[in-house]
Amino acid sequence: MKFSYFHLMPWTELDEAPQQWPASNKTFDPARGKELYDSYIDTMAFAEQCGFDWVGCNEHHFSPYGLMANCNLIGSVLSQRTKSIKLAMLGNLIPLLNPIRVAEEYAMIDVMSGGRLVAGLIRGVPHEYIAYNVIPGESRERLREATALIIKAWTEPEPFGWEGEFYQYPSVSIWPKPMQRPHPKILMSASNEESAEFAGQHKAMMGMTLIADLKIAQRCINVYRQSAEGHGFEPRPEDILIGQNTCIADSDEEAKEHLSRGLSYFHKVLMHSIRDAMRLVVQKSRFFAQEQYGERFVNRLATLNARNIDEMIEAGSVLCGSPKTVIKQMKRIRGELGNGRFNLNMKIGNIPDKVVRRGMELFRDKVLPEAASL
Amino acid sequence: MSDFVEQTVELSTGQVQYLIGGTGPALLHLHSASGPRLSPAIERLATKHTIYVPTLPGFNGTTMHAQIGTMDGLAGVAAEFIRKAIGKGCDVMAESFGGWVALWLAVKHPDLVEQLVLEAAAGMRSRDLAPLPTDPADSERLFHAVPERAPRNPRYAEALPGNIRVAMSYTGGQSLDDALVASLQRIRARTLLLFGTKDEVAPAGDVGRRLKAGIANSHLSYIYGAAHALEFDQPDRVARLVGAFLERGEAFVVRTAEVA
Repeated sequence: MKFSYFHLMPWTELDEAPQQWPASNKTFDPARGKELYDSYIDTMAFAEQCGFDWVGCNEHHFSPYGLMANCNLIGSVLSQRTKSIKLAMLGNLIPLLNPIRVAEEYAMIDVMSGGRLVAGLIRGVPHEYIAYNVIPGESRERLREATALIIKAWTEPEPFGWEGEFYQYPSVSIWPKPMQRPHPKILMSASNEESAEFAGQHKAMMGMTLIADLKIAQRCINVYRQSAEGHGFEPRPEDILIGQNTCIADSDEEAKEHLSRGLSYFHKVLMHSIRDAMRLVVQKSRFFAQEQYGERFVNRLATLNARNIDEMIEAGSVLCGSPKTVIKQMKRIRGELGNGRFNLNMKIGNIPDKVVRRGMELFRDKVLPEAASL
Repeated sequence: MSDFVEQTVELSTGQVQYLIGGTGPALLHLHSASGPRLSPAIERLATKHTIYVPTLPGFNGTTMHAQIGTMDGLAGVAAEFIRKAIGKGCDVMAESFGGWVALWLAVKHPDLVEQLVLEAAAGMRSRDLAPLPTDPADSERLFHAVPERAPRNPRYAEALPGNIRVAMSYTGGQSLDDALVASLQRIRARTLLLFGTKDEVAPAGDVGRRLKAGIANSHLSYIYGAAHALEFDQPDRVARLVGAFLERGEAFVVRTAEVA
């Protein structure tokens, strides 16, 4: 089993939930922002010393739940603060961006880090399409075309042109090219069957998060496997990344208390107004090709929001408890899903950084020695 | 423009002339202090809306209504106009001075205003901002960022001085309506606040922020390249955004192929 340490970089200072999306930024305090970035980057660099294989981050817009409008900036910093840990950008929201710019920035991180980039080519959650004013119904096809273009930009030995449906570039030749050959490993989201099939088609690693039901998660993984195999790629366990909100503490009770508070802040404050924007996109666009996937997405978030910690543990939605307890939970999920990689998000909402650090130390000293051999 | 026809309606306070044109759901357009003008933006919106453009009492040489001398009084006229000429509550779009009227309308007659579009609304300008110029040439520069798109209809120019005097008689020369500011929180209609990036008459940094803070369900948008006369400076941008807002409500922020 391999592990990724993931960070959303949440804003921790809101006293009450924003009532409208996008959340007003009038209370943002840059000095506090600087402190948070410093602390978060320190923690992410510390993940290398704790035995994590990857350190991961992602891109979100117009939201206090993630202060990374461009995770490549953080990836760039981490390339200089770490030596061996893989830098997982999980990832750039490709349909919203200029794919050539993504190819260039990812190549820079890969070269600067000595070939440690894991390239997340992600469609993103629905409300991001309002933020960047991109037609949600085009997201899948934009992702498909942009992925092909990015790979071409990384691998084509001579300048080339691209005349596509969404992207047109008369002449492309990026500098630098990535260090990894033929190109960095690609990871795509597979949190629903539609995405899972897409990830398999692209022979990408798959990532899944916000699990509400292990049986549904298993179904997505099966779709991913079948799709990949249909395209000549047999995924290994380490190609399957399961994201989990995680709290490891000295006792089960302590972990539950911290996670409960952090999730409450996350769902009731940070995510409060986002749900309206998500609903708009899901209901008013063809973000999901099939209506049932849109409904499932909305229901999944509502389900997760309504559960208490024990219910979340039971459903396989979180890892929470003492090291021993967490190892058991990992074994169970591994047994159900067959994943060879966990992505642990430990800074949930406003869980104090010292609690997160303690959890990382416990992971290093007590979880990893046993869990690595799962 | 030729599709618009002039009609009159008898209200309890007096007669009101209005232009009506277009096809689709009703949209009330309340004019600026310059008086009623059919802008290119209105013409574009008329392809999907039946647009009512009343001449507020006193403008364009019409008779003032005896009991009506204030901005909230004009809102009462607009309310009765909606009831009698349109027949039911409708979307309202208003420019500058008309925005002031529309704000009072939304405060006092919330049942008559479904969605509200305010273009650089008047009545919200801080008193400590630099006074507006009195020289017509300076005013022209201030109102129009794209002078070649300014209206050239001689009738508009002819009516302008009288219309400005009438507007002043309603506003009392005030730029900030404290009572209205205190009432903004009563507005329930979903509201689109439009401001030109070059508007120094109703700068968004002052007027827009006051409105955004006061109206709970409001969305502020800048129209790039426009000064105060948004509908003339950037008719395509105004019509595109307003059309999407009126048609799709809160979902107008989700981009669709039609507006791409």
